[in-house]
Amino acid sequence: MGRKGKASALIISSLFVLSLLATLLLPYDPNEIDLDNLREPPSLEHPFGTDNKGRDILTRVLSGGKISIGVSVAAALISMGIGLIVGLLSGYFGGKLDLFLMALVDLILAFPALLLAIGFSVLLPPGIYTVMIALSAVGWASFARLVRGSVLSLREISFIEAARSVGCGDVRILLVHILPQCVPLVLVMMGIKLGGYVLTEAALGFLGLGAQPPTATWGSMISANRVFISSAPWMVLPPGIAIAVTALSFNLLGDDLRTHYDSGRN
Amino acid sequence: MKNFILKRLQLLVLLLFGITLLTFALTKALPGDPVYSLVGERSSPEIIEKIRREIGTDKGIFSQYIGYVSLVLHGEMGRSYYTNRKVLDDILIKFPNTLKLAAGAMLIATPFGVFLGLAAALKRGSRFDRIASGLSITALSVPVFWSGLVLMLFFSLKLKILPPSGTGGVEYLLLPAITLSLPAAATLMRITRVTVLDIVKMPFVRTARAKGVSVFRLNAVHIMKNALIPVVTVIGLDFGSYLNGAVLTETIFGWNGIGRYAMEGILKRDYPVIMGCILIGTVSFVIMNLIVDVLYFYMDPRVTPHGTER
Repeated sequence: MGRKGKASALIISSLFVLSLLATLLLPYDPNEIDLDNLREPPSLEHPFGTDNKGRDILTRVLSGGKISIGVSVAAALISMGIGLIVGLLSGYFGGKLDLFLMALVDLILAFPALLLAIGFSVLLPPGIYTVMIALSAVGWASFARLVRGSVLSLREISFIEAARSVGCGDVRILLVHILPQCVPLVLVMMGIKLGGYVLTEAALGFLGLGAQPPTATWGSMISANRVFISSAPWMVLPPGIAIAVTALSFNLLGDDLRTHYDSGRN
Repeated sequence: MKNFILKRLQLLVLLLFGITLLTFALTKALPGDPVYSLVGERSSPEIIEKIRREIGTDKGIFSQYIGYVSLVLHGEMGRSYYTNRKVLDDILIKFPNTLKLAAGAMLIATPFGVFLGLAAALKRGSRFDRIASGLSITALSVPVFWSGLVLMLFFSLKLKILPPSGTGGVEYLLLPAITLSLPAAATLMRITRVTVLDIVKMPFVRTARAKGVSVFRLNAVHIMKNALIPVVTVIGLDFGSYLNGAVLTETIFGWNGIGRYAMEGILKRDYPVIMGCILIGTVSFVIMNLIVDVLYFYMDPRVTPHGTER
């Protein structure tokens, strides 16, 4: 990993750790309403000010990070898992199964991701698990496509043939010989895609489909406070910056992983 | 060429049948009944039954589907469960707005993205390249619903030179189009940069340079012409996806387009609206792809209509 990638990974992990420790480090409760301090501009006591219910914005941004980062990473991992399974089966066995699975993949990729995620998330009661499910239900398709492609080329390589000729079964070939070859590829893909997961998670929160009030997520903070953008911009700017910094770090990390992966192959 | 286009349009009809069938099956198979969201779960069974008959969900899936298809073949799309307005009428009002927004965003994004990408690739590793690449990845990381709000705060609420929201002429279009163009320009910049970096390594570029082609001609004709295919693909794909709905941008700026319409339909389980949006979305997506494929044919003499068939 290059300097860029290391710095990005450091930023994300420190943000996540800070968000887990938010309530220990800061004297405020993220959800406690304080009617004496409504819409306070930034000050020493409240570095980012307070919101419409007197809650400390810094505390809420930090504790929201727990959900925003956690849900995005979890959804990316689930997508990767489903994508690996589907891609391995589809690429290895081919035939009608492949045709069916890839038609499904094409169908999912043909719809605008956000609308599809909205569609999946209205099927379940709103909450963080719903967001996770919606993000993975849309996200697995591109992983599956990628894994399938790489399985197709791996299948023809002689060591697979050698494995088969010494009597390895399909399961053993898939799990022991092909799967490990796909892992670096999907990890790189996950790095590239994570920024997008963060943005979609935020968008679903913004549209009111994520964790419900009073729980803070970055997206829901922006939508709840956007009517005050003119009189109290400090309520809207920090969660947006938090989303941007996180997505940017993930994107830079992904770029870095890809560069190294590509140069490693050539 | 004509055959190619006809064949693709035939495929579109098949695709529409498939997609409507699938969406129909999915909306029925999934939990949640639109009747409950219309009248509430505590209404008397008689009222629920009456509404079911009115909107036709009491019949079997198959006869509902046949009913819908014959409706569409007669140039109708049914009525919204909520507003009782004709879905087709709504779409005819909203689609041109979405088209305007998508075209506006692309008109802004294309020159910026392509020029920045070309310049960054030609000066690879320079400070300009680093700044342009940094800007583009930042633009891809900022959520549009936030950049839209920041633009609105600055231009509408502080400077008061543009209206904050609503649908209308250029003054209304400008802010949402700029918002939507940011990630589009960033994607274009990145794809142009990568493509040009590949092209400048090719022998024909060295030949052109050796025979004394001017720098401008080299960049504009020899390099850009070869970079067009991926660039046009990205423009087409982005444009197609905006036609399916720039949900967030339309929501922020109160733009009366397809994206918001589709989202409201999904949130309320307004099936005729969802189906209508999926139909129009599929048609515009396929036509956009068709246009891109036809453009390939003009941009690259190696591509034949036969060769672009998949």
